[in-house]
Amino acid sequence: MPLYLKAVSVIILIQDLMLCNKMNTRSNWISCSRIRSIYIFFLLLLVSVNVQGQGKFIFTPQWTAQAQFAGYYVALEKGFYKEAGLSVEIVHPSPTQPALKRICENQSHATTLQLCQAMEIIDEGVELVNILQTSMNNAMVIVSRRGVNPLTQKGERVGIWSAGFGQLAKCMNIKEKLNYQWIPSATNVNLFVAGAVDATLAMSYNEYYQLVQTGLPVNEKCVYRFCDHGYNVQEDGVYMTREYYEKHRAEAKKFAQASRRGWEWAAAHPEETLDIVMKYVHDNQIVTNRILQKLMLEEILRLQINRESGKREFRLRPDMVKRASDLMLECKLLKHEVTYEQLIAK
Amino acid sequence: MKLRVISLIKKSLPLRLSLLVVIFAAIVLIAALGFMFGVSRQAIRQEAINRATDQLDNTIQRVTNILDKVEVSANSTEWLVRRHLNFPDSMFVYSHQVLENNPDLNGCSIAFEPYYYPERGRYFSAYSFNDNGKILTTQEGNEHYEYFYLDWYQLCKLLDCPIWTEPFLDYNPDDINSEEMIASYCKPMKNENGEYIGTVSVDISLGWLSKIISAVKPYPNSYSMMIGQGGTYFVHPDTNKLVYQSIFTESMDHPDSAMVELGHAMQRGEHGMRQLKVDNEDCYVFFKPLGSTGWSVAIVCPESDIFGSFNKLRRTVTGTVFGGLLLLMLVCSLSIRHELKPLTHLALQAETIASGDFSKTLPHDGRSDEVGRLSESFTNMQHSLVNYIEELKDTTTQKASIERELKVASEIQMSMVPRMFPAFPSRKDIDLYASISPAKEVGGDLYDFFIQDEKLNFCVGDVSGKGVPASLFMAVTRNLFRIVAQQGHAPVEIANQINTILAKDNDQAMFVTMFIGKVDLRTGHLDYCDCGHNAPVIDGQFLDMKHHNQPLGLIEDVPFYGESMENIKGKQILLYTDGLNEAENSNQEILGNERLIELMQGVQSMDARQVVDMLAAAVEEHRAGAEPNDDLTLLCLRVEG
Repeated sequence: MPLYLKAVSVIILIQDLMLCNKMNTRSNWISCSRIRSIYIFFLLLLVSVNVQGQGKFIFTPQWTAQAQFAGYYVALEKGFYKEAGLSVEIVHPSPTQPALKRICENQSHATTLQLCQAMEIIDEGVELVNILQTSMNNAMVIVSRRGVNPLTQKGERVGIWSAGFGQLAKCMNIKEKLNYQWIPSATNVNLFVAGAVDATLAMSYNEYYQLVQTGLPVNEKCVYRFCDHGYNVQEDGVYMTREYYEKHRAEAKKFAQASRRGWEWAAAHPEETLDIVMKYVHDNQIVTNRILQKLMLEEILRLQINRESGKREFRLRPDMVKRASDLMLECKLLKHEVTYEQLIAK
Repeated sequence: MKLRVISLIKKSLPLRLSLLVVIFAAIVLIAALGFMFGVSRQAIRQEAINRATDQLDNTIQRVTNILDKVEVSANSTEWLVRRHLNFPDSMFVYSHQVLENNPDLNGCSIAFEPYYYPERGRYFSAYSFNDNGKILTTQEGNEHYEYFYLDWYQLCKLLDCPIWTEPFLDYNPDDINSEEMIASYCKPMKNENGEYIGTVSVDISLGWLSKIISAVKPYPNSYSMMIGQGGTYFVHPDTNKLVYQSIFTESMDHPDSAMVELGHAMQRGEHGMRQLKVDNEDCYVFFKPLGSTGWSVAIVCPESDIFGSFNKLRRTVTGTVFGGLLLLMLVCSLSIRHELKPLTHLALQAETIASGDFSKTLPHDGRSDEVGRLSESFTNMQHSLVNYIEELKDTTTQKASIERELKVASEIQMSMVPRMFPAFPSRKDIDLYASISPAKEVGGDLYDFFIQDEKLNFCVGDVSGKGVPASLFMAVTRNLFRIVAQQGHAPVEIANQINTILAKDNDQAMFVTMFIGKVDLRTGHLDYCDCGHNAPVIDGQFLDMKHHNQPLGLIEDVPFYGESMENIKGKQILLYTDGLNEAENSNQEILGNERLIELMQGVQSMDARQVVDMLAAAVEEHRAGAEPNDDLTLLCLRVEG
């Protein structure tokens, strides 16, 4: 098996596990496992034909339905994709069908990834193209349980996602010489609430509000925001394999433009956008509520604004790519430098 | 409107008295009812607390008994496992046995740390689960299911103690609607050295727990709920909140410190009661922790339920009392109005009488109380008033008659003194002018002058007192002067004779001050006799006299002394009464002799009339509008050479 396929398998399996864990399923993991075996088989075959929806553009967000993907739901519901001449279908990942697997199997044509995630995958040999960058700021935070500055908690237990996303935190831990004891977990929030960890990593739009929702007294004193301490690296963007991109440039461009239009509409109509998000949330039986989704949408939209220009720019910043690559190389999370040119759609 | 009501209350005595009675009654009733309601409410509240607390205790006891069985099965399994660690295959038997012995349980895992059994690889977890009554057992861990990253495994490892996980929804991916809420009791396993080696986990469906807790309903609209350690609702009648929301969720959008405080108290494992608004309704919330699970159960009782009957009774009683007070006010008002009706009638009659109709007869209803006595007194007053008015009419008529007579008397009195000026038109050598101004209709001042045998006789007098007696005395004195002076006597003789006549039979002890003078017009020689009168002013200076004599009419046989001046030709002589130098203004300040002398300076060029007019004007100015306090008589004379 080529190296990049191995890398893809590992990442797919991590995402698969992540989604299984999120569902907290105990008795059904066996059936999940059975399905996994089947998909690994398919992965090995790597059938590079479009098995679903001939002529349809399948988009798979990297996570279950939530306001993090509001712009894409809006673009679909408001007909922006249709106006662009695209027949788009949004297929959320499942334990048996994680996003990256769908991309590699050509079952989906695009997915969302964080910049550091995408760089890790590219470093493993999978060529990905960023066709739309939505996030302009980093959302990762460390929240301390004891109401103290996380930078003072040297050597203490800090929750981290067992499914990944913690690249930047690992770099920061090395550079700041904090010697955190990482506690990988499927759901950081519960460990934190129960007092099993001293601090936890969280996304400012997701786990952060989940922590607030548990009634814990969270204030700025006990929150370390990566974006404010020299680790401001962009996150969510839309990626597809370079192979697919080379063959469908026009389609990719149209999807990116219509998606951008969806985000701009969402920023202008937050209440209606929230209605659309909640429709997807209900359809997918996601354990959340409108208030959490409202806060998530507000934060996601805030993160899309470039701090320096004050505008929603929808572009990958070369300086941030360089910053992320240098950090990950220095901390040995990358074997090679990943450049801006490697990421962008030329 | 408010002013109209106040005005009405002020005008109506019955209304005012009724209000006083009602207000007093209301204060007494409100105090009594307030005390009664307060005590009753406290008793009902205490009863509700006891009732809810009992039900909460019973429910928690029931649930705890069941959860205890789960804990016991996990503990006994852990005990077995520790004694047979060398037989990994026996773990499958133990987990299977747990479900066989406890059919209500959903699953049991005996999971070990990675590579605990090197020959079994990284993952080893014996897992049995109940698949619709059929118990299936398998090795759970593999690279797709890394159990050691999951809460149930991580929590008891990190906390190093048995724990209950937060309840979670377990559902079949093939049938997404078949949700079931599961909770796991997890106990850490340790080897003989006390090192952590894995976790025993027993799963139980919480459907029964939800039913038991939901059934607790001490009041018709009350309900029960349960939250986990993270505040999430795991039992709640609103399915939209169940699992999806925590007790703090709504506070994130609309801050509710009372609800947050309740959530924190429940999370801390406290038990107690809070009074707060839940879904905009005042509620009592009774809460208690559920054993060692970290979960907390609460009963929410709307205040309207607890105090429903009490509030109804209170409303009824309050309404009745209010109605009673209104009725009391009505009865009071009518009774008082009836009792005071004669007063109203009396007031109307009095108004008629006050308008001048004295013929109106006042009612007599034969009452002997205060109102009757007032009515009688009023009738007496009316009679007195009628009599008084009649007397007043007579008096007024008499007064008008007297005034008319006084006017005639005044005219007669004025006609007694010479009032034609110039007094001697044919005599260019005599410049004489005089005026008399009584303070009342008639006065007691007098003056007179006449020429006889080329001698000018003149006098100015002032009778003691004022009014009619003084005027009559003045008339007598003036006539006496004219009669005696015409006999050619010197002024001192004139004074002697007048005094003798006036002093006789002077029972009223009246007297008159007088200055009597006689000028020989040929030589300018002046003889004079001052009878207690003001000193004349000659050429701006008071006349320096040796003898002032007594006033005329006081004592009969007292001698008078006369004086003389050699030649007064060209001199300006002013005779006056004390109405000039003792004229008072409104502050009772007199004009004074100094002012008189001041006024008489530089008037040598004026003729007699101008001098008299100037002095009269000065007196008028000094009085400044005040009523004259005395008669004023002025006489100015100059004999030219």
